[in-house]
Amino acid sequence: MGRVAIQGVTKRFGDVTAVDHLTLEVADQEFLVLLGPSGCGKSTALRMIAGLDEPTEGVIEIGARVVNDVEAKDRDVAMVFQSYALYPHMSVRRNIEFPLRSRRVDRDERQQLVEEAAGMLGLDTLLDRKPAQLSGGQRQRVALARAIVRRPQVFLMDEPLSNLDAKLRVQTRAELVELHRRVTTTVIYVTHDQVEAMTMGDRIAILNDGLLQQVGPPQDVYERPTNLFVARFIGNPPMNTVTGKVVRADGDRHAVAVPGGEIAVKPEIGKALDRLALAEVVAGIRPEHLELGADGPIEATVSVVESLGHERHVFCRLTDGQPVIVRQQAAEAAPAEQTPARLTFDDANLHLFDPTTERRVEA
Amino acid sequence: MTPTTTPPTTAPVAEVPARRRRFSRRVREASLGYALVLPSLLVFGTFIFYPFFKNFYLGLYRNPPFPNLPRKWVGFEQYSDILTSSDFYNSVKVTVLFALYTVPIGIALGLFLAVLAHQRLRGIAIYRTIFSSSIATSVAVASVIFGTLMNPRVGLLPWLGLDPQPPILQNPTWALVAVSVTTVWQNLGLSFILMSSGLQSIPDDLLEAAEVDGAGPWSRFRSVTLPLLSPTIFFAVVVGTIFAFQSFGQIDLLTEGGPLDRTNVLTYAIFTELRERNDPGAAAVLAIALFGITLLLTVIQMRVLERRVFYAR
Ligand SMILES: Nc1ncnc2c1ncn2[C@@H]1O[C@H](COP(=O)(O)OP(=O)(O)O)[C@@H](O)[C@H]1O
Ligand SMILES: [Mg+2]
Repeated sequence: MGRVAIQGVTKRFGDVTAVDHLTLEVADQEFLVLLGPSGCGKSTALRMIAGLDEPTEGVIEIGARVVNDVEAKDRDVAMVFQSYALYPHMSVRRNIEFPLRSRRVDRDERQQLVEEAAGMLGLDTLLDRKPAQLSGGQRQRVALARAIVRRPQVFLMDEPLSNLDAKLRVQTRAELVELHRRVTTTVIYVTHDQVEAMTMGDRIAILNDGLLQQVGPPQDVYERPTNLFVARFIGNPPMNTVTGKVVRADGDRHAVAVPGGEIAVKPEIGKALDRLALAEVVAGIRPEHLELGADGPIEATVSVVESLGHERHVFCRLTDGQPVIVRQQAAEAAPAEQTPARLTFDDANLHLFDPTTERRVEA
Repeated sequence: MTPTTTPPTTAPVAEVPARRRRFSRRVREASLGYALVLPSLLVFGTFIFYPFFKNFYLGLYRNPPFPNLPRKWVGFEQYSDILTSSDFYNSVKVTVLFALYTVPIGIALGLFLAVLAHQRLRGIAIYRTIFSSSIATSVAVASVIFGTLMNPRVGLLPWLGLDPQPPILQNPTWALVAVSVTTVWQNLGLSFILMSSGLQSIPDDLLEAAEVDGAGPWSRFRSVTLPLLSPTIFFAVVVGTIFAFQSFGQIDLLTEGGPLDRTNVLTYAIFTELRERNDPGAAAVLAIALFGITLLLTVIQMRVLERRVFYAR
């Protein structure tokens, strides 16, 4: 059983709190992505699971056992480092074999397991080379082979794709997902790249400043971010956010007044705004949910149009100069730059956040 | 530029000046090169090549037993006499033993302390300072310290109530060991610093990877640290051996080659021939022999040991 349970785990380095009361349960055979900006504590969290750093507070369980006092070498986890950390003086074969030798697996079994792992990652012809004689992508595969070779309970990966070029990264991303299906081990995967998180994870856990922000399947996190940080972090280009005044009409017919127009709010959301007694609210809408039209509720000016071939990013300004991005499909009609436009969107895609707590406002 | 369209007679005519130009440029580049190495060639020539050949030449003359008599050309006779003598054989043996006592232990001890001091612990910097402090002492200081410690009258021994007979430095069995201990202590600071810097250059994540891969502390040391430290260790062995073969001060200050020539290393034998017996010829032969042995050993080390060294690039 490769379940991992992290309960109230904190790690402090002097005055710096790298991980702050993290509680997270990773199910057996799940692919969980730990996502967050650089310095948010992802690596520290992973290193505590591996046993390389000791938690200041809290309990870590792997399988059914509390591992706080278990040394890294006895935790039955494997780790892929950002730098790959291949042993430079050993051949690829010896690198992959190392975890087996450490566990005194006998010679025949060792050879068989190494060949299996090498075969899975297409390293058969490279077994006698030294790491220095490999390309970045090949080194990355050796690191993966070394991790899967002994079938650990948990697979830990710290930004394993970040040293690859963009094209190889996309390819390896898919291969990793495939590999996970074949070896069916729990994976905890650290990245700062939200595209990796969205495409690879069964669930995403988003960290900021050592604090867990939200955990959930990628689609849920994308559709219902719990706070402004998650809303802005997930999605590319990022969600547009504008602060507006809550306008209370009779009954539940509330609206949010933003520069250049008013956004009508559904009655149940209006109730929530009343309950929270908010005078102001942050309205968020993703670029792909905004449309340019002749009769939208919000007035804006198109400033720059960027074409990416398959899609277009239209940079607009609201009447007070705030920037807003609209994402269009290539098939739609391109607007002219420096012309007025009106912005429209479907109610269902509007996100509202409390400006002080930054939490999502929900019915 | 196709050969069929070019008339064969015009080709050599056009090529001659080009070739000449290329030749003169090569000459100019070469003379600039020689001009640039000339200063260092002069320094080497004056202080290394000239003394070396002069030394070799001095060995071809036998010096008279009394000063003021003329020296006598004997060719290689003096070389063969000295190099087959039992005194020479003894000096070589003592020198090799001295190197064997000091170099491996010095490196092992330096490495051991470096590994201890490499931990990330509060206050470890104090230990680093202590361990490297002997680098600030000279051979003379080290010799005085250990000479005092082993002195039968004033040192540590009377305080402990010990009075070994004969005194350690006059004991044929222990004198060389005593000199070696002094030398190991004096070189320990350097050895520690060298090994520490070697350890610093090993990336932490390699050792962490080995830990996650299930290796215990000893296995991590043997499979990761030691191979990656091998260039440093190799350097220390080669340089340490050369240093050991050149050691003189501690012998002169502690034992003066005695007792019974048991610490009469080659450098000290050279010194004795030159200063006490006034025999530059014999001293020159020994000096050439020391040079030859050191060179030979270094070449052997390069050939044999270096095969087991891992260089990252
Ligand atoms: N060994 C350490 N000593 C002191 N501070 C550290 C140490 N390791 C990490 N930190 C700090 O903890 C925070 C989180 O670091 P890290 O987990 O590496 O972030 P991430 O992997 O998300 O980029 C950072 O502010 C970092 O400076
Ligand atoms: Mg990191």
